[in-house]
Amino acid sequence: MSMLGLENTAPQRGGREAPALEVKDLWSGYGEQDVLRGIDIALKPGSIVALIGANGAGKSTLLRTISGLIRPRRGEIRLGGEVLSGLPPHRIVERGFVQSPEGKQLFLDMSIRENLLVGAANPRARARREATLEEVFDLFPILKERQACNASTLSGGQQQMVAVGRALMALPRVLALDEPSLGLAPIMVDRLFESIARIRERDLTILIIEQNVFQVLEMADHGYVLENGAVTLSGTGPDLLANDHLRASYLGL
Amino acid sequence: MRVSFTLILGLPLLVAALILPFVVADNYVVHSAAMVLYFAYMASSWNFVCGYVGQVSLGHAAFSGIAGYASVLLFTGLGLSPWIGMILGGILAAAISVPVGYATFRLKGPYFTLTSIAFAEILRIWLENTDAFLGIPLKGAQGLTVPPVGGTSFVAFQFDGKLPYYFIILAMLVGVMAATRLMERSRLGFYLKAIRGNRDGSEALGIDPTRYCLTALALSAFLTGLGGAYYAQLFRYINPERNMGIDLSIDMAVMTIVGGQGTILGPTLGALVLHPVGEVVRATLGGHVLGLHLILYGVVLMLAVLYFPKGIIAPLQRWLAPAPKAPAPVVKPKEVEGR
Repeated sequence: MSMLGLENTAPQRGGREAPALEVKDLWSGYGEQDVLRGIDIALKPGSIVALIGANGAGKSTLLRTISGLIRPRRGEIRLGGEVLSGLPPHRIVERGFVQSPEGKQLFLDMSIRENLLVGAANPRARARREATLEEVFDLFPILKERQACNASTLSGGQQQMVAVGRALMALPRVLALDEPSLGLAPIMVDRLFESIARIRERDLTILIIEQNVFQVLEMADHGYVLENGAVTLSGTGPDLLANDHLRASYLGL
Repeated sequence: MRVSFTLILGLPLLVAALILPFVVADNYVVHSAAMVLYFAYMASSWNFVCGYVGQVSLGHAAFSGIAGYASVLLFTGLGLSPWIGMILGGILAAAISVPVGYATFRLKGPYFTLTSIAFAEILRIWLENTDAFLGIPLKGAQGLTVPPVGGTSFVAFQFDGKLPYYFIILAMLVGVMAATRLMERSRLGFYLKAIRGNRDGSEALGIDPTRYCLTALALSAFLTGLGGAYYAQLFRYINPERNMGIDLSIDMAVMTIVGGQGTILGPTLGALVLHPVGEVVRATLGGHVLGLHLILYGVVLMLAVLYFPKGIIAPLQRWLAPAPKAPAPVVKPKEVEGR
């Protein structure tokens, strides 16, 4: 499935497709400390890809590096064939890689509607933000009902909807979700995963980081296991769920 | 809701300011009131960026000095009207603020504050020790005087009596408030609010904090510059210490923080409370304990931070315009998804 050297921004339907997102030999970290040591991943267009691993394995660092919030030391990041590495964060969002960051990072002194509108900061998204807003409200009707309320008045699950909706407002080509189920009640987790499954119908590639390994692998087309800053295991959801090492390490089976 | 509050509190203040010089037609009172308005204007200009970005600059006096010197030198050297010199000086201050801000705005908290002090102090110390630069007479610490043209001349920004100066700074203050209101409502204000609320979050969403912070800084430097030029014309004199010293920067910051950062009227309230207090202390005890008004500033700042962390405007707002109860969610029949 790797399409080295293929400079094609428009993913072809059927047959062999350029990856929606491709990361090659990525090294990154904070200060002197290397956190990522040669990461290789590729996301098929329209797929849901899960990124799992223990705390400190480098999952969030990978998202932050792809987003441009941390500069990579080495390696290459391509979005639909276009090189992202080295661009500032706002340019990367403009190209179409958008993350819903860990811990939601909502603007608590703003209304729900304002929070969502902040997501449409890039010119491409701003041009059609009212239409996107309606789509997000379709996806999460509760947000429409409560759009004038302050974001701080929402429950954890609703706040997570705002975070996901806000990222959708940026019109992503690849949407990255960092631990969307963190701190949510099980019933809310189920609903959230249903919504994510519905989002994929919009011709979007999703990269999802989760502690909720079992649930995410059931939904994902492909999964990567990160350990100590490197990919140690990769495969389809069912393959990974059947893997002994993974079952022992993450599912406690 | 915010609009009405600003008007509820602001309109009576404006009316009071308009009739004050006619009720108390005393030159000393009018001059003192003009100084309160001047500080309110300067604090509002500071608030334009710092109050909305949430970074404390203690170098803003430099923008006042840059524009003040520019307007005085353009008048004495080229005979250019201080009104035009004021605008050109403001533009110069804004132009200088951009590279300075570009280098410092990525610093957070105290690091930003310290570099802002360094920038302003380097400039001030250089000016104090420079008699002439590229043939332009700066006269160092001695400062420059604005030669009187004799009598009242609008073009020369010189008036007999204090009343015109009073109304000029009052108009400038109303102007800076209107500019702040427009900014709050604009895309710039919207994104600044997001950046202040959650800088990392907004960056991850594709807002370029540098761009919006620098835009606000340049506008703030321009406004501060106008105030600096006004001050030079009011006293017909400019020197590095009074027009760009750190005292002025501290005044702008403390008045805004005590009054209420990121609000339209907060800086004016701060100036209204702090400047008269400072003056009284200076007049009654200044001869005995030098800098006592600064100690008092420190005490007031501590009390304000402890009891009114959002400024003295916060309790006033609760009292004059209590926030409406959160509206009950409007429950509309859900559309049935046909999937």
